[in-house]
Formats: sequence, structure tokens, C-alpha cells
Amino acid sequence: MSIGALDAAAAYGRVFDLKKAAPPPAVETSVVPPAAGGFGGMIEAMVTETATSLRAAETASARQVAGKGDLVDVATAMGAAEVALDTMVAVRDRVVSAYAEIMRMQI
Amino acid sequence: MDLKTAVDVSASALRAQSLRMRLIAENLANADSVARTPGGEPYRRRVASFASAVDRASGAAGVRVDGIESDPTPFQRKYNPGSPAADAKGYVQMPNVNGLVETADMKAAQRAYEANLGAIETARALTMRTLDLLK
Repeated sequence: MSIGALDAAAAYGRVFDLKKAAPPPAVETSVVPPAAGGFGGMIEAMVTETATSLRAAETASARQVAGKGDLVDVATAMGAAEVALDTMVAVRDRVVSAYAEIMRMQI
Repeated sequence: MDLKTAVDVSASALRAQSLRMRLIAENLANADSVARTPGGEPYRRRVASFASAVDRASGAAGVRVDGIESDPTPFQRKYNPGSPAADAKGYVQMPNVNGLVETADMKAAQRAYEANLGAIETARALTMRTLDLLK
């Protein structure tokens, strides 16, 4: 990916900002504690949202199969779930590629 | 997101048009439904009226079925003394359903449904194209 280097630079910048913003620890430890609402939090929120829409689509299609549902509901719920899943996968790919870019970097 | 709202609005239109289609089917199916008693009223044609419905959460104006009304046009009279619904003079009241009108109405419902399907397709394609920016 051509913008991988930019991603890496941005990621570095973010880490730098995080370190600056965090209060200086009394004892310097090698492990940085995960910041709440950081990358993990973002991914978790996205996964939760995606799972919710997937579940809605599943419920709608199950109702349709049982003969009680509405075909329009199934189609729209499926579309929403597809968009949510695709967005999550795209963001994950982007983040993973940025991470790989950093790992390949010469120190 | 507005594209998702657009899909929801089009979905409400799909629901409304499918109900209209159902009513047309009912009218066509009952085009020969007469009363069982002499001089009784036969099936009366029914039509749906639509109204815009604003969704509070998104502020988008979807469509909903405002009501299903009976068509007040007079019934046709047909001479058929053998029918159990025939009155003293041998006339039977036939439903006020006109096949040509129903066919034209069905065509209109089909066109409206297809237009809304097209809107959904376009909104979805645009969403996917936007998502491609991330890849």
C-alpha cells in the first residue's frame, strides 16, 4: 500500500502524543499501560456495533423463514450489516498494515 | 448517516407500495364477488391513501399508509336472474371493480416500487464506493 509510510508516521505521532499527555510514571516501566479509549477500545466498539447489526439481520431473516417477517426488513437489515462488517474489516486492514509497516522499519 | 437514512426512507416506500399492490390484488380477486342474499351489497373496491411520516430520530420524511378506504362509486347492475343475489327484477349488483383501472393502478405501483428499489441500489452503491476509499 502506497500510503503505508504515512500511516506509520501518523501512528508514531499518536504514540508520541499519548506519552506526552500521560503523567510521568514514578518508576519507568518497560510496559506502557493500555490507554482507555485507545485503539483497542475503538476496535471493540466497532466489533460490538457490527455484531449488533449482524444479529438484527439474522433475526429478520429467521422471522422471514418462519413466515412472519417482512422481506424489505430482511433486505435493509442485511444491507446495514454488510456495510458495518465491510467498514470494520477495512479499518482493521488499514491498522494492521500500518502496524506491519512499523514492524518492518529499521531501527 | 444520510445514505442509510435514504435506504430507510425507500424501504418505507417499498412497504407502502406493496400494501397498495395487495389491495389491487384483493380488488382483482373479488371482481366477481357478489352478495349471498337477494339485493345484497357485493364487494366494494378498496384503495389505500398514503401520507408522509417524519421519523423523529433522523428527521427524514418517509411514507406510511394513512388509511384504506372504500371506493364510493356505484355498483354495476347485471341481469342474471339465476343468481342467488338477484333482486326481484333479476338484477345482480356487481362489484365496482374495473379491470382496466386496476391494471393501470398495478402498473403505477410497479413503477413506484421499481423506482424505490433503484434508489436503494444507488444509495448502497454510493456507500460501497465511499468505503472503497478506505481500502
